[in-house]
Amino acid sequence: MKRGRVLWHLVKADFLTRVRRTSFLVTLAFAVFLGYQTFAGNIVMQLDDFRGVYNSAWVGALMGVVTSSFLTLVGFYIVKGSILRDETTRVGQILAATPMSKGFYTLAKSLGNFAVLASMVFVMAVAALCMQLIRAEDRTLHLWTLLSPLLLYALPSMAFVAALAVLFETLPVLRGGVGNVIWFFLWTGLLVAGIGPEATRGGLPTNADYFHDFSGLPTMMVQMRTTILQVDPNFHNNFSLSIGGRPPQHRFLWTGVRWDSVQVAARFTWFAYAIAAALLASVFFHRFDPARERFVRRREEAPERPPVEGLAAAKELVRSDPWAGRLTPLSPASAKNRFISVVAAELRLMLQGHRWWWYAVAGGLFIGCLAAPLPASSGGVILAAWIWPILVWSQMGSREARYATSSLIFSAPRALQRQLPAVWVAGVLVTLATGGGLAIRLLVARDLHGLAGFAVAVCFIPSLALALGVLSGGSKFFEALYTVWWYTGAAHHLRGGDFTGTVASSSRPALYLALTVILLAACWMRRRTQLAYA
Amino acid sequence: MKLTIDNVGKCYRGKVWALRRFSLELKPGVLGLLGPNGAGKTTLMSILATITRATEGRVRWNGTDLASNPNALRTVLGYLPQDFGVYPNLSTQEFLEYLAAVKGLDATAARRRIDQLLNLVNLADVRGRPLGGFSGGMKQRVGIAQALLNDPQLLIVDEPTAGLDPEERVRFRNLLSELSGERIVILSTHIVSDVEATATDIALISNGALVAHAAPEGLLRRVEGRVWEWVIPSADLNAVKQCYRVSNTMRRSDGVHVRVLTDEPPAGAQPVSPTLEDAYLDSLSVYRAGAVA
Repeated sequence: MKRGRVLWHLVKADFLTRVRRTSFLVTLAFAVFLGYQTFAGNIVMQLDDFRGVYNSAWVGALMGVVTSSFLTLVGFYIVKGSILRDETTRVGQILAATPMSKGFYTLAKSLGNFAVLASMVFVMAVAALCMQLIRAEDRTLHLWTLLSPLLLYALPSMAFVAALAVLFETLPVLRGGVGNVIWFFLWTGLLVAGIGPEATRGGLPTNADYFHDFSGLPTMMVQMRTTILQVDPNFHNNFSLSIGGRPPQHRFLWTGVRWDSVQVAARFTWFAYAIAAALLASVFFHRFDPARERFVRRREEAPERPPVEGLAAAKELVRSDPWAGRLTPLSPASAKNRFISVVAAELRLMLQGHRWWWYAVAGGLFIGCLAAPLPASSGGVILAAWIWPILVWSQMGSREARYATSSLIFSAPRALQRQLPAVWVAGVLVTLATGGGLAIRLLVARDLHGLAGFAVAVCFIPSLALALGVLSGGSKFFEALYTVWWYTGAAHHLRGGDFTGTVASSSRPALYLALTVILLAACWMRRRTQLAYA
Repeated sequence: MKLTIDNVGKCYRGKVWALRRFSLELKPGVLGLLGPNGAGKTTLMSILATITRATEGRVRWNGTDLASNPNALRTVLGYLPQDFGVYPNLSTQEFLEYLAAVKGLDATAARRRIDQLLNLVNLADVRGRPLGGFSGGMKQRVGIAQALLNDPQLLIVDEPTAGLDPEERVRFRNLLSELSGERIVILSTHIVSDVEATATDIALISNGALVAHAAPEGLLRRVEGRVWEWVIPSADLNAVKQCYRVSNTMRRSDGVHVRVLTDEPPAGAQPVSPTLEDAYLDSLSVYRAGAVA
């Protein structure tokens, strides 16, 4: 009973801390936006050229799938950071001094994360209700049919994501930007893993398939296929959940997910996975022990001086230790440096702290861009070159907030006019340092269109990083967005989405130049408001 | 060299005024800014350091309004905030080099200055060690060094001795005294002995308002002949506290030595020389009594 009360208060405090922040409103706004996009028909689930009639079953299925796929990706980034918050606010040290066990703490943090994600599911449920009534293709409400995909597909997925976010935070390698990048690929893997081999071939899923279906999408898809085959025996087994695109031309009547005991048990298993992940996290959790944090505090090496006790004794000692003459005045001329010095300082700050192999890979990528055949260089090699420094870019614009150095930097002269542009130039140099080999190749090949696209990309990437860093005050937003953009837009050479600009068919230099200007303007304006006097 | 604070006020969200109609004119010397927790000291420091904009009023540096030209002050400003962070991957030397560049110092002058500063704050031996492993006191010394990087004409230090050991505290006080000759130093603290050791002027602040601004001697004169001390049994201490404004108590083998502020001497009490702490407590209680009335 007592433990239950402690757990309740931990989760409650965690939840209230988050919901009282502006970022929570942004989180809900995102859920509303996603709900609206689904309602407006911009997010479409279709089988060949069919979609379901907008009845409770179809709307519920659509919302459930959108939530357990798209929202789980974003939700992770939203909730990750709860342990870090306890660390930075130093509340963690107070908690560490209580009898609370590590497992209890990581479980409470997972529940806190889940409460936030569940509130987003709630928004989607309201959106589903509104959608069915406003779309009015079938106004008969079947609440269980409408809400069961959200309750049994979305909520268990969210519980697992909530616990994974805690697990990532406790693992030293995954707690930072590397974890943010890896999550995207892990999420992709989780979605794909749910599609069993039988289902891929058009057969029925086995019972085992249900248990590793993270989103519920594949098992729902199989049931829909059975229904649609009755309408169209020539169904080609094409299923898509897409944003935008041509709306399907035909409709069919979908009556909802037919839940059986195995499916329900499989969905509840994800709650068990979540508890297991939360408890696993407790194994790695450092319990706010500074000795186990990243920078091990070493004993202060006191200079060799006699021991001093109390102020009176200190005064005696210091009396014989005059200060005069130790500091020579600075001449006015020495207080004028060149912009390039600030750029060099920012560049040094950006590149500091990596291991030797990081620089070796970066150098290898430069050489790879230079030495590989041009199609490979402007394809796979440049992609690798422009994902490698992601954690360097992601510090841009947010480093001052992260390390609480704003008061030192922002009280320096011309912080807006000098320091901010210096950060951007340093970011451009980093982008060139890994991918610059391609520019030389394009120049030699006299591919001016490719070169223009490359130049714009070199400006665009650091602009995106700087703007998102300044606007969000953290690195996570850029790490998440850039990874998704890099994979879906650049790696697949999506027309309009490929910011690398080196493949003629997907390159849009003008678009990305305009975006660069907009991002820099937004970043400049935001930083102006952060400085009391610009 | 003149810093003018003219009717400055700062209102935070929720219409909470941290500072109201605050005026002061500062010339070279050390101003000790004293006040209880939440008095508005840090808000005032942030405004003077161009970190926060005042809601009302003006701050002028040598006649230049900060609102129109903050860089006029920033180029000659050294600021040690109460809470500040460091980049854990950088060494002390690298961190100071970075800040020197951001502050606009040229590389050669910066290197020479950093060498001197690291010796000054006793961090020369650990100049190459990453800041992430530093103790609170060592970080505070890095903060002191960065505040002096550009040889500032206006040095603002907010609770600078927090986390320093007694020896470093005395060293820092001496440093402030020696630096004050040709510059304005504003020392904000609630540790009266820090101010006592260094300040040429004292400003008392409470509830966002200026309570008193005077030289230490002037403040002490206000309580001259009103500070008394005598020895009482432990059992009588509560009764004495009810009757008098007690500024200090000390338990000794012969009983409790009580120090009180009062116009009429208690029976058996001896007059003693007032300290700045007596003057500070007296000024605050007089101000509070006036505010209540």
